[in-house]
Amino acid sequence: MNIMFAWVLGVAVLVILLAVFLLLRRRETGDTTRVNAAPAREEFAEEITYFPASPPHAKPKPKLDIPEISWRYGTDRLVLMVRDPNWLFAYWEITATKQEEFNQQYGPAAWSSSRPVLRVYDITGIHFTGDNANNYTDITVSDHVDSWHIEVGRPNSTFCVDLGRIFPDGRFVTLLRSNIVQTPSIDISSLVDEEWMWIEDIYRTISRYHIGSSPMVTEQVAREMGLIPLGISSPGFAK
Amino acid sequence: MRKGYLCFILHAHLPFVRHPEHEHFLEERWLYEAITETYIPLIEMFDELVEENIPFRLTLSVSPPLLSMLSDGLLQQRYLRHLDQLIELAEKETARTWESPFHATALMYRDRFYRARYVFTEKYRGNIINAWKKFRALGRLEIITCAATHGFLPLLITQPEAVRAQIGVAVDLFTKHFGDKPAGFWLPECAYAQGIDDILKEFDIKYFFTDTHGVMYASHRPRYGVFAPIFCPTGVAVFGRDVESSKQVWSANEGYPGDFDYREYYRDIGYDMPFDYIHPYIHPDGIRVNTGIKYYRITGKGNHKEPYDRYNALRKADIHAGNFLFNREHQIRYLNTLMDRDPVIIAPYDAELFGHWWFEGPDWLKFVLRKAHYDFPMIETITPSDYLKKYPCNQVARPCPSSWGHKGYNEVWLCHANDWIYRHLHIAAERMIELAEQYHHAGATVQRALKQAARELLLAQSSDWAFIMHTGTMVDYAIRRTKQHISNFLRLYDQIKYNHIDVGWLEDLERRNNIFPDINVSYYRKAGAPLKTAAAV
Repeated sequence: MNIMFAWVLGVAVLVILLAVFLLLRRRETGDTTRVNAAPAREEFAEEITYFPASPPHAKPKPKLDIPEISWRYGTDRLVLMVRDPNWLFAYWEITATKQEEFNQQYGPAAWSSSRPVLRVYDITGIHFTGDNANNYTDITVSDHVDSWHIEVGRPNSTFCVDLGRIFPDGRFVTLLRSNIVQTPSIDISSLVDEEWMWIEDIYRTISRYHIGSSPMVTEQVAREMGLIPLGISSPGFAK
Repeated sequence: MRKGYLCFILHAHLPFVRHPEHEHFLEERWLYEAITETYIPLIEMFDELVEENIPFRLTLSVSPPLLSMLSDGLLQQRYLRHLDQLIELAEKETARTWESPFHATALMYRDRFYRARYVFTEKYRGNIINAWKKFRALGRLEIITCAATHGFLPLLITQPEAVRAQIGVAVDLFTKHFGDKPAGFWLPECAYAQGIDDILKEFDIKYFFTDTHGVMYASHRPRYGVFAPIFCPTGVAVFGRDVESSKQVWSANEGYPGDFDYREYYRDIGYDMPFDYIHPYIHPDGIRVNTGIKYYRITGKGNHKEPYDRYNALRKADIHAGNFLFNREHQIRYLNTLMDRDPVIIAPYDAELFGHWWFEGPDWLKFVLRKAHYDFPMIETITPSDYLKKYPCNQVARPCPSSWGHKGYNEVWLCHANDWIYRHLHIAAERMIELAEQYHHAGATVQRALKQAARELLLAQSSDWAFIMHTGTMVDYAIRRTKQHISNFLRLYDQIKYNHIDVGWLEDLERRNNIFPDINVSYYRKAGAPLKTAAAV
């Protein structure tokens, strides 16, 4: 009996050990194939010569719907961007909280009795502290818009914008202040580097051979140099 | 005797379009067309020149989305399926055009498609990046990278971390594919703004390009105009585009591609043939598309078109190549008398112009590179890295913010048709920075969600969507892509913040938008936070 029992036990242990061993082995090989398969597929797609026929999906095509995204993010912000030497773009969001605060501070009818204004500060060459701008322009906007293309007409200048409200008595209150941006140049610099003195004849070759495709740029340069033409035209996506 | 250098740059880019959820997806054809019509013809042309032992040098910018798509198994399979369809159509066409003036052209297409199949499957094992690696190893191509998803950097720099991620992720992907870091960087749309060079510098980038006025209108008058690089105060070099050589190739009216002997792009049998005949080869929904088989030459300004004559077209490409070099020689000879160093002419083009748009473009380029070697001893082709090695001392000036888009600045990507995207892109970037700051020690699932959030943000930032909205064709797709990625991002943000990540959905996103599998999210951490290097990814 005892011998029989020991024998059965021995076989059972052996079977269990074997099972565990096989299981471990299988898991190991499984892992290795996974590790190897990924880069091979990505780098070379070795299977390319015998493509498996793509499974015949007969499922109906889902309609391509455009997900709607929220327009407002619940953050007060006024962001200023450069479009070109003469134009900026600003967008903003004012939260209901901000609006309530305004009414609390200036009276319950303050919001409705004032109108929204973009105050565009030219802060070229200065450290702007809020009241030391070189000059500013006010643009009346409406309560129904939250972005604006701003014509500044000043290349190579620095700007900051306030979104605020003007009361009937002319008082201006700032709600939001933007980041600071600088418009690009439309001209050859007047700064000359003595160590690297510009070679006038090179500039002439550029102007002599090409009549520009960008009237805005050439007009400006024509004042000083003749015509600098810029073949700014990327056919880009001709698809 | 050499008197100057010619520096060709081809910028190869397509937006990341990969839709495993659809069996046939219209916009995926952009990639297939570009492979057949541009990338493979260029590769064939380089191979020919290498065999002839012509020591040309050329710079190729390969955008990260393009690298990702070209190395993607699914798209490789789908490309081959597409090509096989095209071969079937071309076979039918050779029969249909028998004894007509179009027959020779039909045979040409059939042979080209078979050849493309051979090059793609046999020669480069389904991955044409292998070809570029080869030419790089042979010292013919200098390969550089471009922003991660071709984001228009001047309009993203409101969050410098967003620009840093666009640059860092691109550098990492390049390193993964090519083994070392890129020396140069193609700014998407040549769009530069102050601050970008500081970030390029962080990643050891040695040079980038701007349009002509980016250098001409620099803070100090550049001594050599655009015929030598300047250094930004950060020490990164800037090469400015040469106007004349650009215009000769770019311009649809005055440029070579408009020549009457060249192939007409707009007469494609996808539109010209009866529906019953063509429908297996267009979109399964019956939407007519370009097949790439086009039988006419430009002929003239009007609608009347004559059959294409390959022989005449190639002869014209040869003449134009000679004309191009004659003009460059003239330019270089004169500049050389003015300058105390050899001038460099910077001639950058979209790679897809060659072959896809200007069918004979790759042949023209081949003729140029061959003739430059045999017939124009004054001209040598060079890459920016080599030029900088030759002339390491350059004038320092801040380049002027600019782009090569219409009117030269940012308007194409910031106009009434697309200005709405920035309020979303900026807030998403802000939130990504917040996530990267707060969760950099989080567990594995959160890390996966963070990475996917970064992918969705990057995909939304692709300049292609804004560009398409501006041009007004395929606008729906561009809007949908922008909104979809923003929406995915915002949902991931909420799930991370409120600690209820939907793992099933996350997996689905990872499978679909699988660009940048090893993305390093720490680029979004505030400047000053320790950066993990590419090696640590």
